[in-house]
Amino acid sequence: MTDNPFRAGLETERTPQPCVFVIFGASGDLTRRKLIPALYNLAVSRLLPPGMTILGFALTESSEDQFRANMREAVAQFSRRKPIDEAVWADFASRLHYVSGKFEVPESYQRLLAKLEKLDKTNGTRGNRIYYLAIPPSAFRAVNDNLSAGGLVSNDADRYTRIIIEKPFGRDLASANALNADLHRVFTESQIFRIDHYLGKETVQNLVALRFGNTIFEPLWNRNHIDHVQVTVAEDIGVEGRGKFYEEAGASRDIVQNHLLQLLMVTAMEPPVAFTADEVRDEKVKVLRALKPILGDDVARLTVRGQYAPGHFAGKPAPAYREEPNVSPTSNVETFVAMRLEIDNWRFAGVPIYIRAGKRLAKRTTEISVHFKHVPHALLKHDRLAATPGETSDGSRVEPDVLAIRIQPDEGIGLRFVAKVPGPTMTLRPVTMDFRYGSTFGGSGPEAYERLILDALLGDPTLFARADEVSAAWRFMTPILEAWEKSPPAGYPNYAAGTWGPAAASDLIERDGRAWRRL
Amino acid sequence: MRLALDAVEPELSRLWQEEADKGGAPRIGLFTLVALASELPLLGRAQGVVAEVAATYPSRTIVAMWRQGVDAAVTADAALHRITATGAACGDAIVLEATGGGREWLPENLGHLALTDLPMCVWWVGDLPDFDKLFDRVAVDADLVIVNSGEMDLRDLEKLSMICKRIRDSTALTDLTWFRLRPVQELIARFFDDETALACLTSIERLTIEFNPRDGDVDAASTQAGLLFGWMANALGLKGDTVAWNRGSGWNEVTIGRLVGRFEHRHRDDVPPGSISRVTMECDGARFEVERQEDPQLFKWSREAPGAPVPPQTLRIKTPDESTLLIRCLERPKRDLLYEKSLHLGSKIVRVVAPRLSTRIDG
Repeated sequence: MTDNPFRAGLETERTPQPCVFVIFGASGDLTRRKLIPALYNLAVSRLLPPGMTILGFALTESSEDQFRANMREAVAQFSRRKPIDEAVWADFASRLHYVSGKFEVPESYQRLLAKLEKLDKTNGTRGNRIYYLAIPPSAFRAVNDNLSAGGLVSNDADRYTRIIIEKPFGRDLASANALNADLHRVFTESQIFRIDHYLGKETVQNLVALRFGNTIFEPLWNRNHIDHVQVTVAEDIGVEGRGKFYEEAGASRDIVQNHLLQLLMVTAMEPPVAFTADEVRDEKVKVLRALKPILGDDVARLTVRGQYAPGHFAGKPAPAYREEPNVSPTSNVETFVAMRLEIDNWRFAGVPIYIRAGKRLAKRTTEISVHFKHVPHALLKHDRLAATPGETSDGSRVEPDVLAIRIQPDEGIGLRFVAKVPGPTMTLRPVTMDFRYGSTFGGSGPEAYERLILDALLGDPTLFARADEVSAAWRFMTPILEAWEKSPPAGYPNYAAGTWGPAAASDLIERDGRAWRRL
Repeated sequence: MRLALDAVEPELSRLWQEEADKGGAPRIGLFTLVALASELPLLGRAQGVVAEVAATYPSRTIVAMWRQGVDAAVTADAALHRITATGAACGDAIVLEATGGGREWLPENLGHLALTDLPMCVWWVGDLPDFDKLFDRVAVDADLVIVNSGEMDLRDLEKLSMICKRIRDSTALTDLTWFRLRPVQELIARFFDDETALACLTSIERLTIEFNPRDGDVDAASTQAGLLFGWMANALGLKGDTVAWNRGSGWNEVTIGRLVGRFEHRHRDDVPPGSISRVTMECDGARFEVERQEDPQLFKWSREAPGAPVPPQTLRIKTPDESTLLIRCLERPKRDLLYEKSLHLGSKIVRVVAPRLSTRIDG
């Protein structure tokens, strides 16, 4: 980073240094749907540095012109900005290059190196590289080793090499540690960017702003005031052509181990001393370390898994999971998970955290809701005869306050509290105050991939998962997954598509005298 | 129907209640935006712009205008802004009309109608008179005052600089034209993001700014070019205490220390008057250029610096409309020290060639 006097006071005080952005798996779906549209949108927003070059690398034989044509189609289809800006596209396309090769063949990397060196000379990228692994996890090791053996990784002060990898970061603690060890043989931790696109969402970042940019919430954010927390990541769609992947992953590995635990970490972490990468991630990982392990008999008591049966959604029939393409007709993979967690630390001791995630649920919604305790004393006149705190004289309970942070769709924050219904009697009723991101700030912000790719270009890993975070998440999840493997589920499928999951999920929370929030 | 001022709040409450009965949007307000339309023809323009702002940032807008009249009075209209013609409500739309001596009552009434405990931002629509008590009185109560130097003459940079110094303890001053410049500044800044190019900075000897002059304009530069030059001179560490000007047909040159700054006319019908068409910086062996292309929204960025080859880049900078610029100003309703420094230095440099401020005009 230079001390550029023209940058002083400007909005973009940091700009990325030019680099070659190498996409492994350039002919794949992720590249078409997310990566190239995100890079194109960064170009439209004038956020890519001059000289920035994108180099696709994949097995498919293709000319550079063909690659550009394919990427143009992808941008036309998947970019949030339509139609394509021809002038910007022409400039962007001139920076798109392609090399075909096999991930496991060292000679392919020699061709890659030659191409990179040539691009450095013509585009001023000065040896800076970002490798984006949009490839199956089974190919990670070959790419990692060949990058190292081929002399494609640098730790020099005057040039950078970074690697971005997509989840899954392993499939249990052992494989995650092995993956981290592999990566660390070649890259330092500061060069590794593990992408979890949930962290690129504006509302997740807004949760940090809500907690630490206001004074009214943080004093209440503890076991003295919070009764329990619910985190829901619900999708209304099925596996949508990802049957093969889902058969390997299931909801636990696809959603819970990463996205859902990330949401939990941001909700429960202590205030970091600064909003810098290590300070934030230090606090996040402490939450995972404080999660009370679910072991032995507790696995059956505190977790629920499910798989969807045929049902209907939006007035149309929806197939069972076992009827989806590339799914075994006898599959025992879970498409739904619910758990009761506890965080064993000073702030949250004794506060249950209920989480649920699944496919083919009643509604697409991701939400964190913080449920506050009942009022401690029935103060109001009509409450005098109340049998328990918070009950009104007619025996109904005063609804506790709820702060709900909606991640998607319709991002925003809602606060439910109690107010008096106008009239001569003291009748109380919950009301909601709603803050909606879209209607308050207008327009749409950048997509998660745009934000995260820009951060990787800038070398800012704050919104990326660190190795110890990943390990800690697997350390919590692995005993549960192992227990499930030892005791195959009975009665699958156990919930109809288009519903809120198996009955056992309701039992999980209802036996504590609580209920899932109606979403 | 014209309302008495004390009927405005009840009327707005009634309209919001109607909206709530229909299951409409919640009532949200982020700030009060006051638009002072100094001439009747500006009223419609101001109303259109504030309506677009409210669709992005739910807010209360108050458009105030005044006309000649014997009786002193202030009356109002109250309605709701909507995101689209038939869409959800997104703010309060108040229009105040002052007649005769009622103009003098506007500042207090604007204060009364402003949303409690939220910023009040005042936009002076159009050219700013050299002296106007109303402006001063409204400005001191505001958190942010927004002007558009692009509608002013070069000499007005000095006026803005003086206003800025006068009100800065209580009120921030900003400028739509400053925000028009932002993308160009960003392109200029990216010339020097690496060490190799940064090393050229101390040897820059020539800076050229081409701009589209207004019809019949005799000013040495547009206010936009003057502001840009002030910003660049500030970044280059120039002081502006000793400047020497040279003039020719369609160009003006100013020498400040080692640097020769040149302002050149480049007539274009497809860009607003005052707009920048090209910025070039040169020193021995290096050249840095941002140039507007045939498509007026396209800019070519190019850099030739020894040891730092980089291909040129084509970027689109959409010509922002007035509401977009206003929205940008309102994103951060606080002092912008970079603007203030650029304004002060820019006005100091062009003062020599800009006509003197006119005599005092009150009311």
